[in-house]
Amino acid sequence: MFLFRFIFCSILFILITATNAAAYIGLCCAHCGGNMPLNIMGGGIPETHEYRFKISEMYMSMDSLRDGTDEKNYSDYGPSTARDKYRGVPKSMDSYMTMLGGAYSFTDNFAGMIMGGYVRNTMEMTTTAGDYDMFSQGLTDTKLIGKYRLYHDDNLAPTKQLSAVAGVAVPTGRITIKNTNHPTGTMRGKLLPFGMQPGSGTWDPIFGLTYQKAADPFWMGANFMTTQRWWLNDQDYKKGSEYTLDLYVMRQFNEKALASFQLNGKAWGDYSDQPKAGKENGDCHAMLNSTKDWMTPLCDPTNYGGVNLHATMGVQFQPAPLHVAELNLSIPLYQNLKGPQMQSDFMLRLTYYLEVPTKKSRRYKGFSAPKQLGF
Amino acid sequence: MKRIIFYFWLFASTTFLFLGANSAKAHQESFKAMGVVQPRNELPAPNFTLQNSNGNSVSLSDFKGKAVLLNFWATWCVPCKKELPSMQKLYEALKLDGVEVIAISIDRDKQKRIHQYINDYKLTFPVLLDPSQKVRKDYFILGLPTSYLIGADGKLKGFISGEREWDSTASKKLFSTLVQ
Repeated sequence: MFLFRFIFCSILFILITATNAAAYIGLCCAHCGGNMPLNIMGGGIPETHEYRFKISEMYMSMDSLRDGTDEKNYSDYGPSTARDKYRGVPKSMDSYMTMLGGAYSFTDNFAGMIMGGYVRNTMEMTTTAGDYDMFSQGLTDTKLIGKYRLYHDDNLAPTKQLSAVAGVAVPTGRITIKNTNHPTGTMRGKLLPFGMQPGSGTWDPIFGLTYQKAADPFWMGANFMTTQRWWLNDQDYKKGSEYTLDLYVMRQFNEKALASFQLNGKAWGDYSDQPKAGKENGDCHAMLNSTKDWMTPLCDPTNYGGVNLHATMGVQFQPAPLHVAELNLSIPLYQNLKGPQMQSDFMLRLTYYLEVPTKKSRRYKGFSAPKQLGF
Repeated sequence: MKRIIFYFWLFASTTFLFLGANSAKAHQESFKAMGVVQPRNELPAPNFTLQNSNGNSVSLSDFKGKAVLLNFWATWCVPCKKELPSMQKLYEALKLDGVEVIAISIDRDKQKRIHQYINDYKLTFPVLLDPSQKVRKDYFILGLPTSYLIGADGKLKGFISGEREWDSTASKKLFSTLVQ
């Protein structure tokens, strides 16, 4: 929570101190060919010597279970004390995430970014002891990223650009959130399953490659990103590595608005092991005994990972210069999950984006006159 | 008699210097008011030949002897679009005084939309097309809109980065000093 407040206060501070610099904006600068949907990580590079801040509210609905590509009903797995069944089974999940991001371009080709979030998860559970809502909330991991433009065919209005991304996910999200709502008193205060923990607990390197193409009134591109999980966390496990590939096309249909369509592919691995608390205290095991079966499919580290493909439709709107709003709806096209695990139903995301020129920005001071022509 | 001639000469030269200084000051002020960067060395504006929206060839040298506002723009540039009507008003107000406006579109393939802009804004000044970006590069254009002021002698007199109100009093004053 401290970090979230810190990021929020820092953004507020920069906004207040940068207000004087936001004086002049009647200029198109060097990233005209680089428009990207705002939900794609690393999308939206600020103009040189400018800040960009992003606040995004996302709602994700997950409904019923899936094993491989087969949709399953929760009653296939319990709740039951019988063998091969689980004492608790998830029915649905609602996840709200507030994301804050800031970026600054140091040069035409290099920008630094920070992104963090606060998530609130509610999972509807049915158990042998009765139904209840499993709940967790907290900061997600914070991503620090640098994006470097490797190639562009034109600085003012590039038609082709290639950028590399490198960064790190800082383990600001917790991995030890406890169950507070379980109908059985002895289960309260025990570690929640992996999927309900907002963090990874590890410092994870991030790498990516972005290709952008512009052919007015279209923008299109591909964005590949991977978060590698190489080290164990304090609970002696690691989350699976993630790979995402986003393909997008955007069309400007109005001076102030554009529509986008995306295909978002994701592959991610399962967890390497159960948490230390599970081995030592039997958290997440039946009867709190580590030799017994898992309480729910969510506790099994191998019931994670998979491949999915979402289609995303979006509208981006510029209500005023320096302000951008975007609304996106994602629906799953394909899901192959190592399961059983909760399957994605739909995702809705509203993003607001603010550009803040500094006094060093070209939109504040204009471009320099060329020496070659006698200036 | 000699003394009278001397005093007359002294008065005339002081008046001339005073008026000259005032004119230079007014010149400087009008440039400053419009945010014009003046050259350290006045070099000839690079000549070019481009097609206009009707397919006819137009060269910068065709306008020798006139003060020229040379403007670079694109249909995707919102600030550019905003200043087009004021450029038309400036053109209408000062074309008889020897001021010419030339707008060069750097769009790669937007002839239809450029035509639409010309019709929508009723532009009567020459709008030239630079789809290959050659002239844009000769003029070192890194942001849009960018404009150059070219004197009647064909030399570059000023550089302007960003959108301006070209029909403002300050702008008209600027061009009136340029044609003098």
